[in-house]
Amino acid sequence: MAFTATLEQIDDVAKITLSGELDASTAGIFKEEIEKVSTENFKHLVLDMGDLEYMASAGLRVLIFAKQKMGSYVDIYVIKAQELVLDTLEKTGFDQSVIIQDDYPG
Amino acid sequence: MEPLTVAGTLDSLSAIAKYVVAAAADAGLDKKASYRLRLAVDEIASNIIIHGYDEACLDGDVDLQATIDLKTLTISIEDTAINYDPCAQETPDNLDKPIELRPHGGLGVYLAIQGVDKFMYERVGDRNRNIFVMNRPVTETVAEGS
Repeated sequence: MAFTATLEQIDDVAKITLSGELDASTAGIFKEEIEKVSTENFKHLVLDMGDLEYMASAGLRVLIFAKQKMGSYVDIYVIKAQELVLDTLEKTGFDQSVIIQDDYPG
Repeated sequence: MEPLTVAGTLDSLSAIAKYVVAAAADAGLDKKASYRLRLAVDEIASNIIIHGYDEACLDGDVDLQATIDLKTLTISIEDTAINYDPCAQETPDNLDKPIELRPHGGLGVYLAIQGVDKFMYERVGDRNRNIFVMNRPVTETVAEGS
């Protein structure tokens, strides 16, 4: 199913815009973008989920990977997440490890 | 609904999702229930494909059957992969831990079982059968009965 992840990195902020459906068959695309993020002088990872229609646990595992790669001092922002995607983050406690906002900067 | 048989590969997840979403629509499930059911089946199907077949160096199909009755929608998914009972897995006890300290596994089964009204597993001969049951909205069942 269609899924895209697009990385923009400006100064100390990396923004990845996700769209479509994130499941076990497409999570590798998301992971590839995380791997491209330069972690020098890096503070914030912003995940724009405005066009993300669906997210399975494979997407959550990429979030774990991102947090482990970037270190716990990097804040991960989740912006514009749709209700049902947010539901998954809340059910699994991931909402405690990311900053959920309507937009970035807040 | 007609049954669906797909190859036990990740490319099949899209077809599985379409089938489940169509069944949910036929059963009159609302958007949230449809999403939760789709997620549950997707999680188990992903585990079948990745752990049951691929990592075990096996090939096989995944068979789905949707059944709608007056009160429920039931989706069963069968495979010939290695014996795996999701109900035997422990519920993650680390949902309050920071995500960087979490193991990578266990979340899929948790989301699957939590998302449906009833979940069952059976081993039938050499086949795993995972059964997902969703209650239909009351208005739909009343309409059918009148």
